[in-house]
Amino acid sequence: MSIASPPAPPTASDPNPASSILERALSPRRRVVNNLATAWMMASLLVALVPLAVIVAYVISKGAGVINGDFLIKDLPIITQFAGGGIKPAIVGTVVITGLAALLSIPLGVLAAVYLNEYGRDKPVANVIRFMAGVMTGVPSIVMGLFVATIWVSSGLHRGYSGLAGSLALGALMLPIVIRSSEEMLKLVPDDLRDASDALGARRWRTVLSVALPAALPGIVSGAMLAVARAAGETAPLLFTIGITRSTNANPFRGTNTALSQEIWFNAQTPFAAAKDRAWGEALTLIVIVFVCTVIARLVSSRFAMARR
Amino acid sequence: MTGVAATKRPKAGDIWSDRAFRAVALVAGLLVLIILGLIAYTTTSKAWPAFREQGFSFVTSDRWNPNVGQFGALAFIFGTLVSSAIAIAFAVPLSLGIALFITELASKRLRMFVTYVIDLLAAIPSVVYGFWALAVFTTPAKTLYTHLADTLGKLPLLSRLFGGPASGASFMTAGVILAVMIIPIITSLAREVLLTVAQDDKNAAWAMGATRWEMLRVAVFPRVRSGLVGAVMLGLGRAMGETIAVALVIGNSPQITSHLFRTGDSMASVIAHNFPEATGVPRAALIGMGVVLFAITIVVNITARFITRRTARAMGAAR
Amino acid sequence: MTASLSNRRARRAAAIFFLLALLAAACGSSSSGSSDNTLNGSGSTFQKTFDEVAIAAFKQKSPGVTVNYAGGGSGKGKTDLQSKTVDFAGTDSLIKDEEKAGYQGGAVLYFPTVSAPITVSYKVAGLDKLQLSAESLAKIFSGDAKKWNDAAIADDNPGVNLPSTDIVIVHRADASGTTSNFTKYLVSAAGSAWTLGSGDTVTWPADSQAGQGNAGVAQIIGQTDGAIGYVDFSDAVAANLTFASIKNSAGNYTEPTLESAQAAVESATIADDLTYSPLNTSGAGAYPLTAPTWIIVYAKQTNKVKGQALKDFLTFVLNDGQALAKDADYAKLPDSLKEKANAQLSKLEIPA
Repeated sequence: MSIASPPAPPTASDPNPASSILERALSPRRRVVNNLATAWMMASLLVALVPLAVIVAYVISKGAGVINGDFLIKDLPIITQFAGGGIKPAIVGTVVITGLAALLSIPLGVLAAVYLNEYGRDKPVANVIRFMAGVMTGVPSIVMGLFVATIWVSSGLHRGYSGLAGSLALGALMLPIVIRSSEEMLKLVPDDLRDASDALGARRWRTVLSVALPAALPGIVSGAMLAVARAAGETAPLLFTIGITRSTNANPFRGTNTALSQEIWFNAQTPFAAAKDRAWGEALTLIVIVFVCTVIARLVSSRFAMARR
Repeated sequence: MTGVAATKRPKAGDIWSDRAFRAVALVAGLLVLIILGLIAYTTTSKAWPAFREQGFSFVTSDRWNPNVGQFGALAFIFGTLVSSAIAIAFAVPLSLGIALFITELASKRLRMFVTYVIDLLAAIPSVVYGFWALAVFTTPAKTLYTHLADTLGKLPLLSRLFGGPASGASFMTAGVILAVMIIPIITSLAREVLLTVAQDDKNAAWAMGATRWEMLRVAVFPRVRSGLVGAVMLGLGRAMGETIAVALVIGNSPQITSHLFRTGDSMASVIAHNFPEATGVPRAALIGMGVVLFAITIVVNITARFITRRTARAMGAAR
Repeated sequence: MTASLSNRRARRAAAIFFLLALLAAACGSSSSGSSDNTLNGSGSTFQKTFDEVAIAAFKQKSPGVTVNYAGGGSGKGKTDLQSKTVDFAGTDSLIKDEEKAGYQGGAVLYFPTVSAPITVSYKVAGLDKLQLSAESLAKIFSGDAKKWNDAAIADDNPGVNLPSTDIVIVHRADASGTTSNFTKYLVSAAGSAWTLGSGDTVTWPADSQAGQGNAGVAQIIGQTDGAIGYVDFSDAVAANLTFASIKNSAGNYTEPTLESAQAAVESATIADDLTYSPLNTSGAGAYPLTAPTWIIVYAKQTNKVKGQALKDFLTFVLNDGQALAKDADYAKLPDSLKEKANAQLSKLEIPA
C-alpha cells in the first residue's frame, strides 16, 4: 500500500504538473477521508461540550434562583415537602466529612508514595503495592461504603452512623488516588537534588522531608485537591454510613450527619417542587465546591509544579 | 553551611530514625493491601449465608425475590454489563476523537482549554448527572425513544434492540449518562498513550507525504493499540462501578432483554436502593451482589493494567 | 540547621501522633453516637410526613429535645431498632415471629399513631375519574392487563372512554411496608387473580418502573404518561396526583379520604398489643386500602433521660399530635384506640 504516488511526468497537454507534490498526489478519496477524520476529531469535542454546557447551565439557572443568604445559613426544613429553611447542615456535613477524609488519607497516601518512590523503587513489595494501588482506584465507591458499613457501622465494631464512618469510606476511596499522583510527582523530582542532599551528609529521611517532598509539593497538593473534589461529590459510600439529620452537626465523631450529595439523592426522588428546588440549589453549591477544587488543582500544578519531560 | 569535605559521622540514633521512617512509610503503603484484603474478606464472609443458600445459581439465576429466599443476581449483572456496553459504544469514539484533537490538532492554548473542559466534565458529581437526567432528560428521552422504536425498531435486525415499548428510564438512558461520565477518564488515558509515540515515527510518515489520517493509521495506531484497549477497559471498569446516576435513571425493574429502551436494573443500583433497609439473608445477598461487582471490576482493572503495562514497556524500549 | 531539623522531626511526629489520637478518641466515643436528648428514629416512609410535622411541633413544645426521623422504609426501621442503632422505629408491618429474637432490647411495644389510605394513583391524559375493583387491580399490577382500555378496567368504568395507552406499573424499589399492605390486600381481596404473593418486596412484572420511597413512586407517576402505582395519601396529595376509587368488600367504590380511612380502622379488630389490620374491612364507607402504621419502641428503656424524652414524644404524638394529623393528610386514631394507646404508655419502663 503506497501512501504517496510519485508526481506525474509532464505531458504535452499539461507541461507544468502541480506545483506542490502533495497537491498533485492527493487523490480526492484520500483528501475526503482525511477531512472526515479531522471533522470527527472536532465534532467529538463539540459533542462532549454539549452535556457539560447544558448541565452546568441548567444547574446554574435553576439553582441560582434558590440560593440566597438564608439558604446557606439556615437548617434544613424538618418536613421535606415544604419550602423554606436552608442547606447549612448539608454544606457543613460535606465540608467536615470530606475534610476529615482528606486528613486521614492524604498524609498516609503521601507517606506510601514516599515509600514507593524513595525506598521501595523496584522491589517486589513496592511493585505489588503500586499495582494494587492502581487496582484500588477502580474499586466502585459503593463497595467502599458496603465495606465500612459492615465492619464499622452496622456490624463488626458497631459504631452506628456518624460522619467519621463516612470519612473512612471516602478516605479509602481517596487513598489510592493520592498515592498514585504523589508518586508521579516524586518521580519527577530529579535525582540530582537528592544526590546533593546525600553528599551533604543528610540521612535518607531528611532528604525526603527537606528536599524531595518540598520539590514535589505543588504536584502533590494538586493531586490531593483532585482527590478531595472526587470525594466531595460521592454519594453511595455516605448512604450506608452517615445516617441523616436536619440540623447542623459539625462533629463527625458523634451523631448522624448529612451531606450535599446525599441530600440531592433524596430530593431528586421526590415529586415536591420545594424539595426539587432545594436539590438544584444543593447541586449548584456542590458543583461550585468541586469546580473550585479542580481549578485550584490545575492552577497549582501548572504554575508551580515541575514540568513533565 | 559546612563544606562537602566535612561529612559528619552518622550518629547511631540517625540510623535508627532512618529505619523507623522507612518502616512507617512501608506500613502506609501496606495499608493498601490491608484494606483491599479486608474488603475482600469481610464482604465475602458477610455474604456467605446467601452464597451458601443459593450456591452457584447466585450468578446464573435471574430469580431475585429476597422475600422468599431467591437470590439470583443474573438480571442485575446483565443490567450492569449492558448499560456499561452502551456507555463504551458511545464514549470510545468520542474520547478517541477528543484525545486525537488534543494531541494532533490543537494549539497550545486550545489544548489547555480542552483539558480544562474535560476536567470539569470529570468533576461534575455523579448525583448531579443523575438528578439532571431524571428531572430533565427522561421525559423527552421517552418521546425520542418512541420515535426511534417506530422507525429503527421496525427494521428486521434492529427491532431486537430498539423495539418498543420505550421508557425514559431505561438501559439506554443509563448508558448515555454513563458515556458522558466516562469520557474524561478514557480521554485522558488515551491522550497519555498517544503521547508515547515518538515524534520521529510520525515524522517518517509525514515525510512520505501522508495525510494526517494516514500518518495516524500507519505510525500511531499500530503502536498504541494495547494502550488504547487498556484505557477503554479502565473506562469500562469505571462504568460498571457507577452507582448513583444509574440508580436514578435505569428504571429499577430487573429484566434480561435485548431491547435497550426498556427498564432494567444494575448491581450497584439495587444495592443502593435496598441495602439500608435489608436484614438477615437478604442483606447478605446484597453484600454478595457487592462481592460479585467487586470481583468483576477487579478482574477488568487488572486485565487493563496488564495490557497497558505491556505497551508501556514496549514504548520504554522504543524510546 | 540541626535545630530546625529536629523541629521538623518533632512537627512530623506530632502530626502522626495527633492523627492517632484523633482515631483513638473516635474509637473511644460512645457507640450510638448521639447525645442523651437526641432521639433517633428510622423506618416507614408512609408515616414520615406525619412524623416530621409532629417532630416540628414537638420541638416548639420541648426545645431541649431533638428528634430525627430518617425514613428509609419499615424494614430499615426494624433492622435499626434490632441493633439499637435508633431509639424508635416506624413500621407499617408487624415483626415476624422468627425475627423477634433479634431484638436486642427485649420486648417491643406497638404504638399506633395514625392511619391513611394507600392511594392507587395514576396519570392518564383525559382520565379524571377511575374506578377499580380488586380483580382489575390484580390484573393491572401483575401485568395481565397491558393497555388502559383492557376489558377488566372497562367493566369497572361503564361509559368511560378509555385510551389505548400502555399501562406503566410503578412500584417500590426498596423493601416497603406499603408494598406489604398493598399486596396483602390483593391476596385477600383478589383471590386467584393475584399470583405474585405479598411481602415487603415481590417480583413485579418486567417493564415496570420503581421509585425510592413513596415519594419516589409519586415522582415517577407524575412524570410518566400511562403510569399507575400505589402511593401513600399524604405524598399523593402533595404531588397533585389523581387517585382511583376502589371497590370495598361491601361493594361500594370508595374514594381514598381521611373519613373513609377512619371508617376502615373503626371496623377493624384491635388485638391486645394494639396491632390490627384495616385492609379490606367490612364497613360500608370503608376504604379497603387503608394502612395502619405504628411507632415501635423497646418496653424496657435503659437510659433515663432518653427514656423520658421518648415517653414525652409518644405522649405528644398520641394526644396533641393527633390534631396535626388532618392537615398533614393522615387520619387520626379513633377515640377508643387512642385511649388504649395512651394506656399502653405506662408499660414503658424508665430507669429511676
